Amino acid sequence: MSESASDVDVVVSAPRRHTARWAAITLGVVLLLFVAVLATRKSAADKQAESPLLGKPAPSLTGTGLDGSQVSLAAMHGKWVVVNFMASWCVPCRDEHPELVKFSQRHEAAGDAAVLGVIFDDTEPNVRRFFDQLGGSWPVVSDPGGRTALDFGVRGPPESFLVDPNGFVVWKGIGQVDANGLDKLVTQGKARGA
Amino acid sequence: MSAILGTAGVWLGLMGALIGAVTLGLGLRRRDDSLLLAGRKYTWVIVAGAVLGVVAMESALLRHDFSLKYVAENGSRQTPLLFTITGMWSALEGSILLWALVLSGYLAVMVRHFRKRATDPLVGWATLTVFVVAAFFFALMAGPANPFRVIHGAIPTNGPGPNPLLQNHPLVAFHPPMLYLGYVGFTIPFAFAVAALVTGRLGEGWLVETRRWTLFAWGFLTIGIILGAWWSYEVLGWGGYWAWDPVENASFIPWLTATAYLHSVMVQERRGMLRIWNLSLLLATFSLTILGTFLTRSGVLDSVHSFTESPIGPWILTFFGLVVFTAVGLIAWRGDRLRSPGSIDSPVSREGAFLANNLLFAAFCFVVLLGTVFPLLAEAVNGDRLSVGGPYFNRMTTPIVIALLFLMAIAPVLPWRKASEEVLRKRLFWPAATATLVVVLCVATGLRGLSPLVVFWLGTFAAGSAVRQLVLSARRQGWRGLMGRANGGMIVHIGVVLIAVAFAASHAYGHSREFRLSPGQSAHLSGHTVTYLGSDTVKASNKTSVQARVRVDGGKVYGPAIQQFPFATQAIGSPSVKSGLHDDVYITLAAAPDQTGGSAVIGVIVQPLIIWLWIGGAVIALGTVLAAWPGRRRRPTAPVSAPVEVETKPEPVGAPL
Repeated sequence: MSESASDVDVVVSAPRRHTARWAAITLGVVLLLFVAVLATRKSAADKQAESPLLGKPAPSLTGTGLDGSQVSLAAMHGKWVVVNFMASWCVPCRDEHPELVKFSQRHEAAGDAAVLGVIFDDTEPNVRRFFDQLGGSWPVVSDPGGRTALDFGVRGPPESFLVDPNGFVVWKGIGQVDANGLDKLVTQGKARGA
Repeated sequence: MSAILGTAGVWLGLMGALIGAVTLGLGLRRRDDSLLLAGRKYTWVIVAGAVLGVVAMESALLRHDFSLKYVAENGSRQTPLLFTITGMWSALEGSILLWALVLSGYLAVMVRHFRKRATDPLVGWATLTVFVVAAFFFALMAGPANPFRVIHGAIPTNGPGPNPLLQNHPLVAFHPPMLYLGYVGFTIPFAFAVAALVTGRLGEGWLVETRRWTLFAWGFLTIGIILGAWWSYEVLGWGGYWAWDPVENASFIPWLTATAYLHSVMVQERRGMLRIWNLSLLLATFSLTILGTFLTRSGVLDSVHSFTESPIGPWILTFFGLVVFTAVGLIAWRGDRLRSPGSIDSPVSREGAFLANNLLFAAFCFVVLLGTVFPLLAEAVNGDRLSVGGPYFNRMTTPIVIALLFLMAIAPVLPWRKASEEVLRKRLFWPAATATLVVVLCVATGLRGLSPLVVFWLGTFAAGSAVRQLVLSARRQGWRGLMGRANGGMIVHIGVVLIAVAFAASHAYGHSREFRLSPGQSAHLSGHTVTYLGSDTVKASNKTSVQARVRVDGGKVYGPAIQQFPFATQAIGSPSVKSGLHDDVYITLAAAPDQTGGSAVIGVIVQPLIIWLWIGGAVIALGTVLAAWPGRRRRPTAPVSAPVEVETKPEPVGAPL
């Protein structure tokens, strides 16, 4: 330990060069740019939501609804459909549910958009109880074996897809949706003349 | 109840940290010792807050209190006890809580350790810095990453349990806490570096205070990284243990800068050189832990470890910006007062080797950091979306590792100041001869391939140098000759060599194949025989698995399985491994039989020397403990240049990796 060396350093005044200062300032600027780059990145989840299905016809989706009726996505042509993968055990699904209720109520009268639920890894009685508790009257199909989830490339609930009136997937969202966001997507889609 | 207790703990910690920081700040400004003495007492408020939070969280997990959102998302009634407890660090919010606990623990030890110097402004500033860091993490929990958020509306009756990968192996109980002990531990040296710059007390005093703290944090981080590799080997089922995944890199990058520091600090102690560099390494290490946290927790990068999406990204990035701003600003302000009086006399000297070592570690760090963030930079520049994978990292880091191994072989025998050719020849003869003999034997037994053989040669060479130092030291001092920084460092070197050799061997000489086997059928790979006996379905409380029975080499029966956890989409393969000193037979069930008694696809991976990775890790841990052991006090005025005669004493310094 060269205590003596450090003492010397204090006594002898350092040469009037500012190498360290300029190096630090340069580094600081580079790092600032780096932080700016990081700050403007979208989340990988959003990017991931750019699914290969986008712009393609939605995979076929048929099944038996909770009330026993036949439900199919094809039968909903002409409407904007939010295909929502959900489960009663999934907390974000529970959180987003009121938003879906709001969205479906807003469009009920006009009949221009609707929600179609797909049960993801859950039982029908559980989901029925979930809907009894939290409301919502849209069709919900069970997905035995997760075939539909596989077709849509769903990793875990909640995930939602927006399908346009011609049956093409225009958007995929991972995580919770909200009614205003969905409305915006539908409005944008209509403006594009889909 | 847990929510109230936990929230109280979080706010207690936050308030303690803030008020403590303000008190210390005032005390430092007014040079008022009574305020400094009062300020440090808030440490215990912070500790109480963190402990309260952790107790509340664990009790909620154990009581399956699903009114807490965190428990509803990460707990379930079927999850075994161990994984219910580890559920606290199975997702973001809980792991921040663990972070806060570890940080407050370090803080408590630090404040106690420096209790007699509580009025020293250096200690005051360091404590203040840790308070500010603690305040940030408690603020995260009070705001965007609140672990004690409650569910509004109906309370679920059960939850999905932790991520399936996090309830598959007991190592999950050890790997994250170890990693956090390492990661968070760098806060203390960072705080002292900041304090040294602020107070302008830039002599070597602060170094001595922080060296051992850095060593401990480094040791824990090393163990954490190796346990992580082991965990991924035992759990993930692809036979590998390191994949250059962003999260692995995030833990490895600060490790590199910390390792560089542990070496270069010796140059400063002995020769008073590299002062700005050493401070910068400590500042960088801490900044990189925060950057790593951002990269892995904000969801900007895809990773197998991204267990949660979270809104805390902007917070951590802001904090990173603040840390970097502080660090760069302090260096810019004080840096030019740090100019060292000496310069390096000869490149062929201990300090020359340390300098080369540091350049290599800096390059290593840059290469890994660049590869990790490159996808983000590329996307920002031209919108391309690409990923950087193993080939880039392997190609770029192999030459650096080889150069480091070479330094590791020669640096420990180099004297300070200047080495003569004769000294070198004499000291390096036996290690080099042994290494050459080993490689000749390897080639004679049929091993081929340039890079593994180079690694074997350099590895044996480096181990030879280390053993030589240890033997000389032990001959003179008996068992005490194995302790202290220099000798502990040599033991760490041996551990690193074991890992490098095992890494090279397993990469170069591994074999992997899949076989479709009917019950009773056997397959052969690399001298091992694998016999498929049949499969069973096993139901446990938290999972259902199809387990194959596979006999290896006519001996024990192993049970690779495919496990299905409720509430999880993908089934998880769980490998079964026959470990040996010579090689590992790694068996996976790649496809379960379609019907009972049908054929199954069995994956077999044979890799040599895998177990030496873990043994190497244990050796490093042992070496670190020995290096941290308080040895004989050297007089600070001990001569710094090498004596002229050879073989007098071991250089009381470790050497580059």
